Amino acid sequence: MKRVALTVTLGLVAAAHAQKVQAPIPIGVALAQTGNVALLGQEQVIGARLAEKYINARGGINGTPIRLIFQDASGDENTAINAFQNLISKSNVVGIVGPTLSQQAFAADPIAERARVPVLGPSNTAKGIPQIGNYVARVSAPVAVVAPNAIRTALRLDPKIKKVAVLYAQNDAFSVSETGTFQETAKAQGLDVVTVQKFQTTDTDFTTQVTSTLNSDADLVIVSGLAADGGNLVKQLRQLGYKGLIVGGNGLNTSNIFPVCQQYCDGVIIAQAYSPAQPSAANQVFVKDYRAQYKKDPPQFAAQAYAGVQVMADALRVIDRRKKLTTWELPALRTELNKQILAGKYNTPLGELRFDKDGEILQKQFYVAQIKMKDAKNGSFVFLK
Amino acid sequence: MTEFLAQYGFLIVTLVQAGLLGLSLYFPLQAGQLSLASPGFYAVGGYVAAILLTNPAFLGLRESLGNAVFPLSWLAAALICGVLGVVVGVPALRLRGIYLALATIAFVEILRVVSLNLAITGGAVGIFGIPQAFGFQDRWQYIFLFGPLLLLTLLFARQVERSRVGRAFRAIREDELAADAMGVPPTRYKVLAFVIGAVLAGIVGAMSAPFLNTWNAKQGTFDASIAILAFVLIGGSRNIWGPVVGGALLTAVPELLRFLADWRLVINGLVLVVASLYLPQGIVGALQGGRRPAPPRRPPSVPVVVEAKGETP
Repeated sequence: MKRVALTVTLGLVAAAHAQKVQAPIPIGVALAQTGNVALLGQEQVIGARLAEKYINARGGINGTPIRLIFQDASGDENTAINAFQNLISKSNVVGIVGPTLSQQAFAADPIAERARVPVLGPSNTAKGIPQIGNYVARVSAPVAVVAPNAIRTALRLDPKIKKVAVLYAQNDAFSVSETGTFQETAKAQGLDVVTVQKFQTTDTDFTTQVTSTLNSDADLVIVSGLAADGGNLVKQLRQLGYKGLIVGGNGLNTSNIFPVCQQYCDGVIIAQAYSPAQPSAANQVFVKDYRAQYKKDPPQFAAQAYAGVQVMADALRVIDRRKKLTTWELPALRTELNKQILAGKYNTPLGELRFDKDGEILQKQFYVAQIKMKDAKNGSFVFLK
Repeated sequence: MTEFLAQYGFLIVTLVQAGLLGLSLYFPLQAGQLSLASPGFYAVGGYVAAILLTNPAFLGLRESLGNAVFPLSWLAAALICGVLGVVVGVPALRLRGIYLALATIAFVEILRVVSLNLAITGGAVGIFGIPQAFGFQDRWQYIFLFGPLLLLTLLFARQVERSRVGRAFRAIREDELAADAMGVPPTRYKVLAFVIGAVLAGIVGAMSAPFLNTWNAKQGTFDASIAILAFVLIGGSRNIWGPVVGGALLTAVPELLRFLADWRLVINGLVLVVASLYLPQGIVGALQGGRRPAPPRRPPSVPVVVEAKGETP
């Protein structure tokens, strides 16, 4: 058995060595196009496509165009692994942007790590993602860095806040790690966490949680959940008479929640890793392209996917200057690309960013936005200074 | 060949894995029990292996055992799932039909919520960074684990069917009261069939945790119960090949149709609808010409008695 495995492994290595890099340069994108996270995944797909269009319109990689190869990673681990496997061994991509969920990243990223293919997570915010391996990095700042900004802003808006109620979706990995950060920040700011309530992302009735929150007499409510459940929870809080400030987590960070909580969304504070108001030239181009096509401001998920593709392209450009990409052998280029991604500095719509040696993003600036509703259906994220 | 393995290796192993999970539902079904508990035991088995392979508490054990820790994890999963199977089976199997199905779904849900709340199971994030079984480098190598397990299970299933126990299972499936009256203790056999399924699902889970690299509460859910039930129903519930064929087919279709992008899930749905409308006995049942398996040969005296009564033309 060992000998068979060895022969096949050697065969694989030999086959991979014989391959030259094709033009246009194939970059893999494995995001959720179907399944229950497709609401977020679709925004990411839009962002990646805009990046491809922009990069190729500007001459691609010093004259060689790039080509994004999309594979649906859906919302589960098996599909993400299959998507990665397809991109690596069938499409011969130089690197991969994806997958959508942190839980999927824990399953699929080791596949890329073993095949020595660089991966950039566009929305994997859980603890431990860059530590999966040398070839794994992310352009999404971890919750522990982004979330505390929202509480600080809430305290600035209302310095009298003393008692905090914390609510979170217990079956969602992202919400669970985010609520940990929120609770630590609240304590660090000298606030009193008076109640902690759990719910499920599939819940629609939050009477129990809302009643406990109202009874606890909290003057700030912090909600970590996803768009549908989080939106409904905010709506029911307001309907039952809660008047204070509400801080929402990143799961609520999409305009898809407006139709859910309608006018009750008004005033919810959400920390952002991205702002359409970011002044960099890279962002202004992105916002213009996005607005022209979709008649609204780009959301954070689209910006992060755009940044992922852009980082790959910028790193490839540096390598290409040293030695033309199409003369590289694929495995060597993948390794070089990984090194270059970690070494470089990038001007993306998220602002200027770099990576530390693990592949963790070092992002300069974060933002806080407050939802302002025009009517029951339309609203916007207004960025607070 | 090597490229084929690199690309489809994961899928091939997943097909075998789906077949095994289908079989774990097939055993209770053989005794007429519609149990949807398999994903629960699958999840437990996976957690047992994941904890054994990553938890710092077992570091010493892992270092002293080396690769032998993997068979140990299967054994531990099998034992724990077997005991859990008895504990759950004895009260749950007093229920019949749809009520049993509901009770087992509740069991799966309870396990899910428990795993979301325990620190040792990693809460909602689950357990990640699980080391690879025997240092496997590629996904397809897991066929060396799942392949023999499938062969063993099929052989075992065949032997059970031909044995006294298999006949008791069938008797209970066809008519529990009659079987009871004939001196076949239904509870004992029903629990036995349930536990066999639980142990199998647990071992599959323990092998799957390193295969998937990570393990979390999403692995054993109500959705998974329904998917596995579909494997058995589409494949055919009266033949050991049914769950294997159904599991392989339903896992393969959405992956092989990747080039259709969003349409692939539509096609998958169509396969389900068409198969359940036109193949009530499942695919394997249809291949056998829709016949039920031939009844065991009767003693020669029986037809004579029937003839004497003048009931046959």
